[in-house]
Amino acid sequence: MMWLNWRQFRIQALVAVGALVVAAAYTAYLGGDIRDAYDARQAACRDQADCAQATSQFRSAYQNTLLFLATGLALIPAVIGTFWGAPLIARELENGTHRLVWNQSVTRSRWLLTKVLLVGLAAMALTGAAAALLTWAARPFDEVVKEEFSTFVFGARDVAPIGYAALAVTLGTVAGLLLRRTLPSMAVTLVVFLAFQFFFPNVVRPSLIPPDRATLPMSVEAINGAQNLGSIGGGSVIGGVKMPHEPDAWIAQTSPLRTKDGKTLDGAEFNSCLDSPPKTGRGGTFGDTAVCLAKHDLHIDVRYHPSSRYWAFQWLETGIYLALSGVLTAFAVWRIRRRVS
Amino acid sequence: MPWTDAGHAGEFQDVGMAPTESPPTLHAEGLTKRYGRRGRLALSDVNLAVPSGRVIGLVGPNGAGKSTLLHLACGLTEPTSGSLTVLGSPPAANASHLARVGFVAQNTPVYGSFTVAEHLKLGATMNPAWDRSLAERRISQVGLNPTQRAGQLSGGQRAQLALTIAAAKRPELLIFDEPAAALDPLARRGFLHSLGEFVRELGASAVFSSHLLGDIEQVCDYLIVLCDSRIQLAGDTRDLLAGHARLISPRGESGWMPTGFEVISTDHSGAIVRGGTAPEALPCRVEPVTLEELVLGYMARAAAVPTAPATAAVRRAQR
Repeated sequence: MMWLNWRQFRIQALVAVGALVVAAAYTAYLGGDIRDAYDARQAACRDQADCAQATSQFRSAYQNTLLFLATGLALIPAVIGTFWGAPLIARELENGTHRLVWNQSVTRSRWLLTKVLLVGLAAMALTGAAAALLTWAARPFDEVVKEEFSTFVFGARDVAPIGYAALAVTLGTVAGLLLRRTLPSMAVTLVVFLAFQFFFPNVVRPSLIPPDRATLPMSVEAINGAQNLGSIGGGSVIGGVKMPHEPDAWIAQTSPLRTKDGKTLDGAEFNSCLDSPPKTGRGGTFGDTAVCLAKHDLHIDVRYHPSSRYWAFQWLETGIYLALSGVLTAFAVWRIRRRVS
Repeated sequence: MPWTDAGHAGEFQDVGMAPTESPPTLHAEGLTKRYGRRGRLALSDVNLAVPSGRVIGLVGPNGAGKSTLLHLACGLTEPTSGSLTVLGSPPAANASHLARVGFVAQNTPVYGSFTVAEHLKLGATMNPAWDRSLAERRISQVGLNPTQRAGQLSGGQRAQLALTIAAAKRPELLIFDEPAAALDPLARRGFLHSLGEFVRELGASAVFSSHLLGDIEQVCDYLIVLCDSRIQLAGDTRDLLAGHARLISPRGESGWMPTGFEVISTDHSGAIVRGGTAPEALPCRVEPVTLEELVLGYMARAAAVPTAPATAAVRRAQR
């Protein structure tokens, strides 16, 4: 049984190992580079005044590269699910070879389980190794920038990608089993998996652990610490706020700007501050607008997670993905025993 | 004349089990298979009891349910209702039951990217009772190159490979789903020859479906006629031939119908009938039926169309 699995999987495995070697070589180079830049920044930071500029330089030097790599890492499970998971059963059903292999002295459920296990574990190992490489390379950067909860970064570090790989393979297997044809199941796997990877971090992840709540007064300094004001859809909103005493905390939900009585700041007043604030000559990110808004005595209500919950989130998310993979595998075993001819 | 023991043997759907120790090869009760909830009825209330040690020919027109019956027998699909046991157990119940049944599917699927030798390796690693020497001997006998990729084999070579894989696990029952249908006459003859040799060497039972009566006649000693998702006839071929006769209508009397028999089918020259009163009293000539006449007679009856005289004449002329 294991011989057949290996024989059918060896080319994919070789390609994967080859790709991993290339990725390892590149991340080793990148990791060294980042560490050199980090040392330079540390040296610059002996002087308080130069530190901010050195940090900003360090950040902008690697931010895009690391974001690009994180996106690439997010695509690995999707590609694996599409090219390893979906054809796993579908190709056999399409070519009729299931009628050959299912009549050897190995039950269908065992055949399916060993196949899913081999390919699933290989996918988890490959993705896990790639994630470990990226986590290592980016460590000095993550230490300085502290964005471990940003959607892309969280999903491209530590253990969470292992869960994604398991889900992608089992999802592909089930799609192939149900659709019975290789190409449609590949397409469905890719679309469904990417949709789920969008849905989960944005909808499920923030409430995996009940968030803490806080009310943040919107002083001039607080407003200037934010990243954006207003939105395309209109409304008195502020974005990219940080917790005052816990800058690393993940703010999962931010209310609109609220006045003292808890009502949302009137859109007209917000816009007038945004468009034509009284001149005060104050600097900062938002200048006069910040001063104008602060005069309204505003606050926002936020839901947030302290950064100490990072590993709880990582393990929880990995566990959920592995559990879902287990459910899909169990369904596939049930289905292959009963409904496939 | 075998005509005299008509009546007890080969009765329609009444195949008495031989009093042997081993369980019947196939035993079906009320076996029904419907594809989809309101889909096509592929098998309807099939009752069968095939004793062990037979080489069973399963004949019927395309779409009669032959593949469905064989897929049920090797556990590739499950019955909608009714029961089927193969060698005394539900089909494909576990690994050891899988080891007792060899199956060669229609179009003899193999892994196109595997070599012939790799297919034997597949068989060896997946079957505890794998007979390596048998497999290698057969492969060289039929002239297959072990290093050749299966995707490059001809239809006949592929069928031989699939047959070897199914047989070298040393099953007690070999099931073939129209394995020779796509083969040219020469390859078909070679395949049927191999099949016969395997069955003899293994001492196995076999089920073999085909719509080619010649194949069945060449290999089988038990016959099942399946039409319209129902069993029309089942029994040892010898008994079936003995239990039926061809009555030649008296000269010049067209539309003549014999009485006192079950008439299976009629044509311009007479009728195929089953069992009944002693033939001596008949006012007409009595001839033994051939397997082909018998099968065509039952198939024609199932289709509710009388056997076309021209077709029958052509078929007789072909022999």
